[in-house]
Amino acid sequence: MLKAFGNIVAKEVKEMIRDPRILLGMVLAPLLIFPLLGFMLRTSTEAVQESIKTVSIAVTDLDTGDVAKNLTDFLKASPNVKVETINAQNINEIATAVQTSNVTAVVIIPEGFSQNITDGQRGELKIFGVFRGGGVAESVTFSMVQSLLESFKQNLIHETVQKKFPTNPDVVLDPIKVSQSSIVKGKPVDVNPSALFSFAQAQFFGLPLALFMLIILAMQLAATSIATEKEEKTLETLMSLPLNRFTLLIGKLAGSTVVAAIGAIATILGVIYYMGSFTFGAPTQPTVDLSAIGLSPSPLSYVILGASVFVSLLSALALAVVVSVFAEDVRGAQSLLGFVYTPLLIPMFVLMFADISSLPLGLRLFLLALPFTHPMLAARATITGEYFTAVLGIGYVTIFTLVILYVAARIFATEKILTAKIRFGRKNPRRMSI
Amino acid sequence: MVYAVEVDGLVKRFGEIHALDGLTFRIEEGRIYGLIGPNGAGKTTALRIISTLILPTAGSAVVFGRDVVREASEVRKLISYLPEEAGAYKNLSGHEYLQFMGKFNCQNRNDLKKMVEDAANISGLGERLKDKVKTYSKGMKRRLLVARALMNKPKLAVLDEPTSGLDVLHAYYVREIIKQYAKEHGVTALLSSHNMLEVEHLCERVALLNKGKIMAEGTSNELKTKYGAANLEEVFVEVAGLA
Repeated sequence: MLKAFGNIVAKEVKEMIRDPRILLGMVLAPLLIFPLLGFMLRTSTEAVQESIKTVSIAVTDLDTGDVAKNLTDFLKASPNVKVETINAQNINEIATAVQTSNVTAVVIIPEGFSQNITDGQRGELKIFGVFRGGGVAESVTFSMVQSLLESFKQNLIHETVQKKFPTNPDVVLDPIKVSQSSIVKGKPVDVNPSALFSFAQAQFFGLPLALFMLIILAMQLAATSIATEKEEKTLETLMSLPLNRFTLLIGKLAGSTVVAAIGAIATILGVIYYMGSFTFGAPTQPTVDLSAIGLSPSPLSYVILGASVFVSLLSALALAVVVSVFAEDVRGAQSLLGFVYTPLLIPMFVLMFADISSLPLGLRLFLLALPFTHPMLAARATITGEYFTAVLGIGYVTIFTLVILYVAARIFATEKILTAKIRFGRKNPRRMSI
Repeated sequence: MVYAVEVDGLVKRFGEIHALDGLTFRIEEGRIYGLIGPNGAGKTTALRIISTLILPTAGSAVVFGRDVVREASEVRKLISYLPEEAGAYKNLSGHEYLQFMGKFNCQNRNDLKKMVEDAANISGLGERLKDKVKTYSKGMKRRLLVARALMNKPKLAVLDEPTSGLDVLHAYYVREIIKQYAKEHGVTALLSSHNMLEVEHLCERVALLNKGKIMAEGTSNELKTKYGAANLEEVFVEVAGLA
């Protein structure tokens, strides 16, 4: 039995590894997709940071008073800001003038601006953002212009307050100083929480998608393997051999598992690179060392993630085998697999946008019942350190897999493996002695 | 007398379809026996039951004294089954395919080596056995599969349409191999075909099957004499009442 099992496993692995679709999709794709994803995120972040190094602002001064002049000088004196003065009488002329430039925003100082402020009235400014496609860089640079104007406004306020409270104008203006830090895994760390949240969101968006792709691929492998055997009638040949049918089933699954494990290892290597490509922090904040604040995934977390991905893959493979039994050919098997994709899609979409603990109890239980939720939770555990939930998930998915394997074995023991066509026949089919 | 195959009142229903309707025949050891009939006559269903792949609805089939339902695993040790238009693993070489299949029937490496060598001779594919199966023509693939079916010298070879879809030369080669191998090694062969002339040339006894029942049985000469026909095709037309 062991010899026959080894023979089947070796054949399955040889067949699959030699299939270029499998080699590309299961092993090379994760090794390329994850690093590429990380590289793209890092490159685009760097590109944004690079593009906001210099902000171009166009100023049209229709006022020419002292405060207006101060504002223009303030902008010119600000670091990394390039000010372009446009002499025009209306916004249409200004719009035409900035069209061909790289100006981010146009500041128009209307007539009477200085006089109003000097008289204790409210001055009015007009800002036009120049929309060129709405990229992140545009958004960030426009925010910087707003911040600069806000600073100028604060300066004016400061001057006014200083006249009334010459000794402590800062305390009057900002009576409460708020410092922001975070608590990570029960330890205080000197990192802005907003930066941490954006880091986590970036991670939790990509991982479920990648795991979803891997599991889909593995299911297609196993389903295609069984369906091809049915279509080519090699399954009939195998089943007429002096070979225990459970050995045949387990051998086929083990073969797919070996290939899936190689795929999982490739995924983990890809994930490690993906995680390593993240250095986060806003431009105004220094880069944070993840390992220093305990958010760098530990070797244990990678082992747990690997185990979770592995058992989930196994359950997916077993499910795919059961489903493909009811298909006559490869095309039929692929169509039937569509029904299994739904329970895969649900956890992927939900966990992309929400933390499972924040969901209503019913939805949470439903998600936890789906085996494919667990590798996504394990991926999250690499950062959060919630290993207990991840290990429980591995146990649950293992039990789920054993149940599906039992169903598959029952089907293999009957003639349904050759005759079933999405039509459930009589109950309690007779079984041969296997 | 111990028969190689004893089929008695075999019935198989697929829902409303009666694929076999009381099929009964016997095959003596060492004989080549042919089931002939049009598409849908029940030939493949009968062969699949005898090969332990599907279960009969009623009746029995016994191979060398072993019941195909109750002693399926014992029957599988005695038989070799070649499905109609079967394929092989396209990413394995012909040689690897033979080795893979041979391992299920061999106890040691020497036996396996000998078996694969025999299969290589039967197939006549020579150096092409080193190439992947996906590069083979239909005829070459069938020769490989016939070699696989015969290489373990089964007591009963069950061959479903062994020359189906092959050109004249490949069909001739396969027929000669079956005939020669059965004679040399005393292998009993049960084959099906809708090519009546082929069966006439190859089989010592034939059964004419239609709508799941045997219409006539005997040697080619007996049947031709009985129905005053020039060949089995004319016999079949006569017994099926199509004339």
